Amino acid sequence: MFYKILRGLTKLSEVYKKLEEIVKEKYISNSIYVRHAYSRNVDPVLQGVPDIVIRPKDAQEISEILKIANIENIPVTPRGGGICEFGGSKPIGDGGIILDMKRMNKIINLDEDNLIVTVEAGISWGKLNEYLCHYGLYTGCMGPGSGMSAAVGGSISHHSVGGGGCAKYGACTNQLVSLEVVLPTGDIIETGSQANKYSKFPFNRFGNGPDLAGLFCGDNGIFGVKTNVSLQMFPRPPFAAYKTFQLPRKERVISAKIMNEIRQKGIDVYDVMYIMDLIVRIGCEQGMFPFWENLKKKRGVIFYTIEANSEKELDEKVKQIDEIMINNKTEELGSEISDGNIAKWHYTEQGHWQFYHNLWGMSPCMEPLTAECFSSIDSYPEILNDIDQWDMEHNEDMQKILSITKSRPIAGSGPILLIDGNNVEITCGFTSFGSYFDGVNHEILKEIDLKLWKSLLERVTKSGVQWYMMGDFMSRLMVDIGAYTPEYYNFMTSIKQVLDPKMILSRGKFNFWGK
Amino acid sequence: MSELKNLKEEWKAVFSCMSCGDCGFAIRPAVGRYLTCPVKEAKGDEGFEIYFSRGRMNILKSILEGQIPLSKELAEFVYQCSECGNCTEVCHMSQNEYIVLNTSKWIDHVKVWEALRKDLVEAGFAPLDRHGKLIDYMKDDNMRNPYGEEEAKKFEWVSEFPEIKEKGELMFFGGCTMPLRQVDTLKSMMKILKAAGKDIAMSKDEWCCGSIALRIGDERSVIDIIKHNIEIFKNMGAKTIFTACAGCYRTWKKDYPELLGEELPFEVKHITEILVDMLNNNEIPFKSVEGSEIVTWHDPCHLGRHMNLYEIPRAALLKIPGLELKEMKRNRNNAWCCGAGGGVKSEFPDLALNISKERIKEAVDTGAQILTTSCPFCIGNLSDAYKEMELDVQEKITVIDIIDLIASKI
Repeated sequence: MFYKILRGLTKLSEVYKKLEEIVKEKYISNSIYVRHAYSRNVDPVLQGVPDIVIRPKDAQEISEILKIANIENIPVTPRGGGICEFGGSKPIGDGGIILDMKRMNKIINLDEDNLIVTVEAGISWGKLNEYLCHYGLYTGCMGPGSGMSAAVGGSISHHSVGGGGCAKYGACTNQLVSLEVVLPTGDIIETGSQANKYSKFPFNRFGNGPDLAGLFCGDNGIFGVKTNVSLQMFPRPPFAAYKTFQLPRKERVISAKIMNEIRQKGIDVYDVMYIMDLIVRIGCEQGMFPFWENLKKKRGVIFYTIEANSEKELDEKVKQIDEIMINNKTEELGSEISDGNIAKWHYTEQGHWQFYHNLWGMSPCMEPLTAECFSSIDSYPEILNDIDQWDMEHNEDMQKILSITKSRPIAGSGPILLIDGNNVEITCGFTSFGSYFDGVNHEILKEIDLKLWKSLLERVTKSGVQWYMMGDFMSRLMVDIGAYTPEYYNFMTSIKQVLDPKMILSRGKFNFWGK
Repeated sequence: MSELKNLKEEWKAVFSCMSCGDCGFAIRPAVGRYLTCPVKEAKGDEGFEIYFSRGRMNILKSILEGQIPLSKELAEFVYQCSECGNCTEVCHMSQNEYIVLNTSKWIDHVKVWEALRKDLVEAGFAPLDRHGKLIDYMKDDNMRNPYGEEEAKKFEWVSEFPEIKEKGELMFFGGCTMPLRQVDTLKSMMKILKAAGKDIAMSKDEWCCGSIALRIGDERSVIDIIKHNIEIFKNMGAKTIFTACAGCYRTWKKDYPELLGEELPFEVKHITEILVDMLNNNEIPFKSVEGSEIVTWHDPCHLGRHMNLYEIPRAALLKIPGLELKEMKRNRNNAWCCGAGGGVKSEFPDLALNISKERIKEAVDTGAQILTTSCPFCIGNLSDAYKEMELDVQEKITVIDIIDLIASKI
């Protein structure tokens, strides 16, 4: 039963000793309990128990670890905040080394003149922005919806969005200036302006040849370990307005129309989020949204946040966007949070780092089996409709889960978030239950979950979306279902082979397994 | 192998944890949240995830799924937790009444940790060495306290106060820590009560409340103690019993009824509830004062997060002449633990001290000259940490129980 205890390397092994010499005893562990602490992410079904967990202090240590890993052919998985919803920050299969990057969480330099901050990659968005707020600054894009914990390095690896500010600033990678990266073979490089060894400080991402920083943006951790990140910062505007509206019928199409009109009129909006009727209705039924319980019709809502440098500018922008809202027959909720104005909570109480948590755990043990993608504004109503259709087609399997858990999984999407360009972010999938329920291990639950998860994400992939946070599950599914063009996948494979000939780093993602 | 009886009862909490990690990293200034786990932060660079809730929940998932067993090694990790409940606050943290995180309905981390500790005790992997001694002392008929002192010593201070009655409606439960380690504070309490003309009674037959054993997970050792203590006070005609110890307060008010499955036959109050009444009624004759001092309040976990008693001590402080209350950055439900609870002080004293030092620095940052609280464990640990801190810190602030603070102004 406890076969996993026997796995892995013991303290006496030569490899462990070599690694221990690099980082010192306090920062490395092969305790079975420490290993299991790092064996899961958010989803309830994927698990991978590492052999060793290391908390490195800098790029040099990581470089030395990777060199040993190459010699010994041991996979290495970097882990930032560890909040991937689809197994991205744990080993795929058991074994290997986890690099817990959270020890590297310092602010290295604040360049107030040039509005650039340089941080260690393990710092959270919460910590970074708490620091910046003392200078009247912020990161613009506030990272992912899990920004209180999520690491900046992990977010760069995924083009993260969702923590606020994405309609104005786009994904966090838009703000990237320079990276320090440890390549899988152990070489340490700097990108952007820092590729020129005579540059004294990071100031620009582009130039000095191709944008090789882009290689590591959204790489899901396969091309290198980010150790230092330089980001643009922005002065936080002193004025803001935030309003929430209930949508009329045909809310999916209307919400998309509103977002399109905002973009077409060039209104500089900070955030726009559409929360569909399913979430409002079930959330009210489950007691999660007391401020919406009095809504007569549990339709979806849409909210916006606008920032400005003067009251006049703010008034003008509000006037423009309110006109769009009125023309689309939305009904404004009151101005206070108690009136249902979730936009105010989102912005003034930093609810932007917590909104998604609301949608997890609606029932005991109910957890998300989702993935996160971008699509054009025009496309999302149809994608949401197709997810509904998929749900109906898979009712039989859903009922099997219901028969054990007494709760039926819910397929759909979290909030639809306007990001840069005419694009939105969709977190879609279904909620379900892990195999352990009511004191019994139901392996059948895991089997159904995996089958349904794969089925739904394949379906959404075929609608043409762009996955950005892919983890264990989605990165391999894209390859398994042949969604990449052969030429693109060959190109990506060639880069991987050059950078990481033994496929040490994040082994298994995108089916890069090595020999 | 352990049957995991207690842990299995907490399966909903364990498998409802979605590993968001806010219990380890959350910083959300808009609602006064600046980090979460005192143990993880005190571990610093060695802060592997096993030292905060998410990692522990992941381990418990693996244990319940039968992948890994309980062990002594696990116990060594598990008891490095003060059970302060700050992780629960974060887990439930919309911090707005109009938005409810449903996890708040089925995840109570402290209950989970206590269930795990009970299973570790039942499986023979706990108590750890020092904890075992405390429980043995507590059960010893000649001691009945976890300090290994003779039982009579706990009541020596009472002889100085003949006005303490043997029976009465308002009864004082002395507990162990104050009579054996901070007896001057009890004398201060008597000074206040006497000045206010308040009669109290107490029993010399009271036993340790059992908090230590409960926090360590040895529930079986406590049942007889509970019955004994309740019987004693019932027979003495108590309508209200009060205590000056936050740990005793939580144990009496929350644990006793839960373990017995019935309400107690009297009301249980904390000393700050008694004091605030006296202050509101102007029953305490204060000296006249000139000028004012800045005071900051440390929320003991057993009063605050465990019992939701946040405002009463503050209301009391505001009524004391010559004091200006200034809050620490982390206060009320976001308050930083002192590090003593959950058996940390006795088994891992250095860890407990490091946590307290952090709290004292936070108090100094307010500009306060006085750091006060109302829990003998917090006072003990904060004072020990204070003694180890630099002179410039000691020159800036003093650590004092609210009882002593009030008594000093009479």
